[in-house]
Amino acid sequence: MLVFVIRRLLVTVPVLLAASMFSFALIDVTGDPLADLLVQQPPPSQEVIQAERERLYLDRPAYERYWLWLTGIGGNGDIGLLQGEFGPSVQGPAFDVGAEVAARMGVTLRLVAAAVLLALGLAVATGVVSAMRQYSVVDHTLTFIGFLALAMPTFWLGALIKEAGVWANGQLGTTVFSTIGASAADTRGMDLWERIADAGGHLVLPTVALMLTGYAAWSRYQRTAMLEVLNSDYVRLAHAKGLRRRTVMRRHALRTALIPLTSVAAVTIAEILAGTVLIETVFQWRGMGTLLVEAVRTSDAYVLMGWLMLAGTLVVLANLAADLLYGVLDPRIRYE
Amino acid sequence: MANVRNRSRLTGPAAVAAALALAAAGCTGGGGGGGTGAGGVWEECESDPNTCNSGERADGGEITWVVSDFPGAWTTVSPEGGSVYTLQMLSGIVPSTGQWAPDGETYEFNMDLLAEEPELVSEDPFTFSFTFADGAEWDDGTPIGADDAIATVKMSTSDEEGWCEGCRSRQPGIYDDVDEMEASEDGKTVTFTLKDGRANPEWRGFLDAHQIAGGILPAHLAEEQGYDLDEPADVGAYFEWLNETVPEYSGGPYTIVEGDLETQVIMEPNENWYGEVQPTLDTVIVQFNDNENSWVPALTNGEIDGGNPAKINDDVIEQLRGMPEVSVDVGPGASWEHIDLNTENEWLQDVELRRAVFTAIDAQEIVERSYGTAYPEVQRKTNHTFAADSPHHEDLFGDSPQGTGDAEEAARILEEAGYEIVDGTLERDGEQVGPFRLRATADQVRQDSLQIIQSHLEEIGVATEIEAINDLGGVLGDQDYDIVQFGWSTSPWFLINPGQQWHSGSGSNFGGLDVPEVDEALDRMGTATTLEEAAEYANDAGRLVVDQAYVLPLADEPRYSFVTDGFTNIRDNRQHSLRATYNIGEWGTVAN
Amino acid sequence: MSETVRDGAPPPPRGRLRTVAARFARHRPAMAGLAALAALVLFAFAGPLLWTWDHTVSGEIPSSAPPGPEHPLGTTSAGNDVLGQLMRGMQQTLKVAFTVTVLATVVGSVWGAVAGYFRGWVDAVLMRAVDVLLIVPLLVVVAAVGGNVRGGTTWYGVALVIAAFAWTPISRVVRGVVLSLREQEFVEAARAAGASHARIVFRHLLPNAAGPIIVAATLLIAVAILVEAAMSFLGFGIQAPDVSLGLMVQHAKTAAFTRPWLFYPPGLAIVLIALVINFIGDGLRDALDPRQAMVRS
Repeated sequence: MLVFVIRRLLVTVPVLLAASMFSFALIDVTGDPLADLLVQQPPPSQEVIQAERERLYLDRPAYERYWLWLTGIGGNGDIGLLQGEFGPSVQGPAFDVGAEVAARMGVTLRLVAAAVLLALGLAVATGVVSAMRQYSVVDHTLTFIGFLALAMPTFWLGALIKEAGVWANGQLGTTVFSTIGASAADTRGMDLWERIADAGGHLVLPTVALMLTGYAAWSRYQRTAMLEVLNSDYVRLAHAKGLRRRTVMRRHALRTALIPLTSVAAVTIAEILAGTVLIETVFQWRGMGTLLVEAVRTSDAYVLMGWLMLAGTLVVLANLAADLLYGVLDPRIRYE
Repeated sequence: MANVRNRSRLTGPAAVAAALALAAAGCTGGGGGGGTGAGGVWEECESDPNTCNSGERADGGEITWVVSDFPGAWTTVSPEGGSVYTLQMLSGIVPSTGQWAPDGETYEFNMDLLAEEPELVSEDPFTFSFTFADGAEWDDGTPIGADDAIATVKMSTSDEEGWCEGCRSRQPGIYDDVDEMEASEDGKTVTFTLKDGRANPEWRGFLDAHQIAGGILPAHLAEEQGYDLDEPADVGAYFEWLNETVPEYSGGPYTIVEGDLETQVIMEPNENWYGEVQPTLDTVIVQFNDNENSWVPALTNGEIDGGNPAKINDDVIEQLRGMPEVSVDVGPGASWEHIDLNTENEWLQDVELRRAVFTAIDAQEIVERSYGTAYPEVQRKTNHTFAADSPHHEDLFGDSPQGTGDAEEAARILEEAGYEIVDGTLERDGEQVGPFRLRATADQVRQDSLQIIQSHLEEIGVATEIEAINDLGGVLGDQDYDIVQFGWSTSPWFLINPGQQWHSGSGSNFGGLDVPEVDEALDRMGTATTLEEAAEYANDAGRLVVDQAYVLPLADEPRYSFVTDGFTNIRDNRQHSLRATYNIGEWGTVAN
Repeated sequence: MSETVRDGAPPPPRGRLRTVAARFARHRPAMAGLAALAALVLFAFAGPLLWTWDHTVSGEIPSSAPPGPEHPLGTTSAGNDVLGQLMRGMQQTLKVAFTVTVLATVVGSVWGAVAGYFRGWVDAVLMRAVDVLLIVPLLVVVAAVGGNVRGGTTWYGVALVIAAFAWTPISRVVRGVVLSLREQEFVEAARAAGASHARIVFRHLLPNAAGPIIVAATLLIAVAILVEAAMSFLGFGIQAPDVSLGLMVQHAKTAAFTRPWLFYPPGLAIVLIALVINFIGDGLRDALDPRQAMVRS
């Protein structure tokens, strides 16, 4: 199994490398990191622009810059992925891309983890119910809700959930659900319990909004997989043997039906990451999502590269985790 | 429910239901309607801009103030820090020698910081001095004085001047004119001498809140950090240190106790504040939030208390006006929209055609459709340099048909100049004039405006193609347009702007105006010694620019601010980059 | 001797097609979805021909007027007729979605079929390339590229950008199907009869993979609509003076309580289109894969 993991990781290295080259070229062609500086009013002098160009290594050709970004050889010590440096940002020399991305990753992971767990739980439950009562009113209702969540633009959903939260606060007469930020503005003087409560109050609304994006697709897959298993011969056989319905469900059907979901869930992690971009904008979290939006808006090339690499690595790891989970769920799969 | 006044009645489940069933279609908000919101603390601000909403303050309290975008750095001298957002974040921290009051006419020196009003020592060479008050000191007890002023100026100059090596000043302009800086023996007076032949009628504002540093930066921290400010290289290093370090210093009423550039700064009173008016609020949180959609829910929810966004939004303003305990103030701000013509275009180099084009455009209709919903009182701007309530303002378009939308007059101008409108197409010598490329950034207000301009020009047979701009600097710099709409920012200090916009030698005279008389008037402005004289030359230049039909001002873009009940001494200062935070030290909760 | 017999292909799929169509026709939600989609397309493309106002600003349209007889969906601050905008916006959005779907389906199918058919190093190279593209979330890369592309803000620009990254899932689906199909007798027979590679891929493999391809393509329409809307919401999509549903939502995002006639129509239109397409996709899946539709006794 360890060998399997190592081999899988080794295979992803060239893939990530190719992805980085591809992204670098794309970003380079499509954006000018100096654009913001050039529109400043009153306009900065030529010297200022030239200095900025050199600081961002824009005076060098693209292939040289890629090599520099990867290795950091010939740079000013602020660049070189292999040395742990992500490169300079248009936000000035003080902006440490690596530290920034790491800090924001922490914020976003909290949101993603909560949303994914909630979505998986709900998806499995409703998927199973839908499948067992196929074409019943319950199934049709759950299908409709799932499709509606699938059809709702994430940002629209987010805005509506926010309004619902504000309304609930009004009814409760106290602010339980917060609508902006990952924590209260001023957390000094709060004890641990208050901090946790505060973080929780900020987490609820965006989590629900983000959760629905994953839930919709997953519950559909779970329903399909469950149907397939329920119609399979071995489940029929188990029933015929006189096993209790509940046992058949838990021991045989559900376990097998979870296999497709794990692979789908791994792939959808990428979509959830994309969802955070919208949800964080709506709820004003300072996580990876808003970092991306700012970086795109300012053509902050090295921040974008860092973002894409990190997201790519996460997706790769999620896929790997899914492969390993197969083994747990399906004893027939063995890793050599 | 003709107007949704009490917002909480249509939220939550109702909103969800509405989304599904369009149930809310009956609940319409009236479009516009003026007023300063139900809170009404700013009702006097129209007639009494400088002192409205003032009163007794109670001790204590906390406020969370929204700034509508992110500051880029911890000083405003660097290119990335050079925004109103950074300035507003540092208000109450960085001391300055003075600022313009909300009426745009009254200039107030900071007499807590200054011992006396600054003094003009000599006109030739141009020399002036500032003397700092004895009690003025940084929060650690170090006196504020000449060294701080000199360090600030050094960090604001460009490398060529030799004061600093590596200072990335975003606007060295007036500071590069300095020839000599001298500190008095007691360190309390600083004297600046400008280079031979240079003058600065705005010398009183040399170290004020409107300049690139937003005031005076500390010099004494350099030594702690191991820098010697007599060494140019060390000045550069100190520049970077200040730019990237959360300020622990303060020379103002508040001091930053915690903060970052992405979420907020938290400020508490500066224990060592030397000013006459002491701050009363325990905590001021300046929060950065660029999603205007989130402000109203956050305000309803009690997560924020007020803000002064940089852009108007019809619906946000309308909702704020409907909230029972919120005051709103809308009025003209410190940037203006205008239409520029490219004088180097094959056709538009003819001044008669340019005049006709501007005559066919109805400026008042454009500004009403752009801003009228939120600010029904909006008027077209009639002077490039001065706002309508400025004492220097003069209606430069009074005798000109430009901007009236008078298509008949435009057609007459064209006919006299030898053009013909044949089957709805403007021609000269049988050749079609244009079509012209009509451009602006993809901002909704500007794109709508372009469509209106397009329909106006159709009436005189001029065809236009609308093209969105993704890179404004590049497009303007390359003169990649025929007709363009964009904005300039202004300040009550007006000297620098006209020269940049119209002088043939300026890098930002994008449309290539090259008229010797305009240059002359602008040069005279540069050597004027009083503001009145300079203003006169600015208006002379403006008149010539109108005659040349080069720039058609549309309007001072409106701005708004909002605040919940319970606070006093907060009012907007829309001509000032600091906006409502200009007097942050006086803010307080209302005393009962 | 007829061609099909010579190549040893399975019996003509007409009979199967008819069964599928019949099964689809029995799926009531899907049929309703199809009818609704047809109505929406008609509204978007034929509507502008009949309606007085287009999507642009006009001096004759009042500012911010609520819905009324002149303007059934009201007007904007600048003076656009919202109904005119809605028709144009839906048109642009549908054009984007259909273009994305066609391009991505063609590219993805061929790519996946070639990889699955040839296997070996061809498969390895092609699918690694897919991995490279799949590594980054679709919306993210589309935003990163779309936000910056100069002049890429017309509807076809947006469509090209989305399509350039949206074809990869389809290629995976098709490869999987082709991998199993290529082992079946009719492919063996075709190969034995001397059919060219191209012929086998295009005449035998792809038509037999049509089921999964159609389902995936259908769902891609909904994905494209939502991605376009999200791009516009973030400010990276189709730009004014043109209009799309996403851009309308973006412009009206603060108007829910003050001017609902601006807020709800575009958002509901997005939800409606995506919803009916999902129902159609669901019906197609059931019709093409009868195992799932089987009602358990």
